[in-house]
Amino acid sequence: MGKKIRISEFLKNTGRVDLELRLITGKGGLVREIESVDINRPGLTLAGFYDFFAYDRIQIFGLGEAAYMRQLPPHEKKRVYEKFFSYDVLCCIFTHNEEPDQLFIELAESKNVPVLVTTRSTTRFVSIFTHLIDEVFSPSVTLHGTLVAVYGIGILILGKSGVGKSECALELIERGHRLVADDMVEIKKVDETLLMGSGSPILKHHMEIRGLGIINVRDIFGIGSVRNRKRIELVVLLEEWDSSKEYDRLGMEEMMYNILDLEVPFLTIPVRPGRNIPIIMETAALNQRLKKMGVFSARELDDKIQDWIRSEKITNG
Amino acid sequence: MVEREVIIHSDAGVHARPAMMMVREAMKFPCKVSLIKGDIEADCKSIMSVLGLAIVSGTKLIIRADGEGENEVVESLVRMIENKFVMESV
Repeated sequence: MGKKIRISEFLKNTGRVDLELRLITGKGGLVREIESVDINRPGLTLAGFYDFFAYDRIQIFGLGEAAYMRQLPPHEKKRVYEKFFSYDVLCCIFTHNEEPDQLFIELAESKNVPVLVTTRSTTRFVSIFTHLIDEVFSPSVTLHGTLVAVYGIGILILGKSGVGKSECALELIERGHRLVADDMVEIKKVDETLLMGSGSPILKHHMEIRGLGIINVRDIFGIGSVRNRKRIELVVLLEEWDSSKEYDRLGMEEMMYNILDLEVPFLTIPVRPGRNIPIIMETAALNQRLKKMGVFSARELDDKIQDWIRSEKITNG
Repeated sequence: MVEREVIIHSDAGVHARPAMMMVREAMKFPCKVSLIKGDIEADCKSIMSVLGLAIVSGTKLIIRADGEGENEVVESLVRMIENKFVMESV
């Protein structure tokens, strides 16, 4: 995978989800990097089984671990903790609001290991944590394009600079659709079937329109004109009309565009003065919704024509 | 294709004005020009992309150009960065 994220960075970017964590000690250790989506329950390790000790993962101490630690006699406790912290432990998280004892905190502090406590239950915490960390480690790519949500379909508009991606998006916004990101779209493969697109946090909902400069779409058109992320379901390439090129006239075959090894329906729309691209885009979105429901206009028309040809043959023959 | 690695040394980083200067320069050439920071590649002809890279002083950038005028554009962008975006009188 090769990807890494600092613990502090991860904790800062949990979005809407509150892990309900508080730091007990080891603040300096928050610069350590998480390198794996996996977690470790250190129960066996505390009991003395050190084979397979995944010290470089987040250690989750649940009720069981906390209870085990509590019943240890003091001299035993010291030995267990010292052995535990002789490894380069990444980070310890206690669930159910179980704060560790002073000795544990002191050792963690001396080794600069962050210790956090959450009020959540172990299962709940692990499930939320896994979801968040999966997203951090999911493959991602940044593409030059514009992402808009049109009738609930996320359309990624691609094309050379100057072809009119932003202008097209602007008109779509004006018609009541929503802007997700302009110019720089960060795409994440959240799971095997889902590509999620969002904008860069600093550019958020700003657009550059030639002749106007930079505008803030949210301030001009209101909160209803933007959204933070959207699943990408259609890719549209805008290109200048090339009379030597064959454009799709039927739409019988679905073309696909590959993003992070996932195939997304793909259209090439030639741009020419007088062509109303936003309306074509709206229609494309609606047509995509129809296709999702299993209705293929081009194929259905073809079926109808073929039926008609057959019936004509019968009446004529 | 031409590539050059540069480090930004202007204290203010690449804010709106320097970004605009880079975009203007890139626009003078027909080739594709990109700025690469880490694993993010941005179109140097788009002001939003350049701003979105969040280039601060000390950032390592790769300037990549592909096509007609690739040598000239990389050369002139590198010069611009080395001069810390001080307007040149050419």
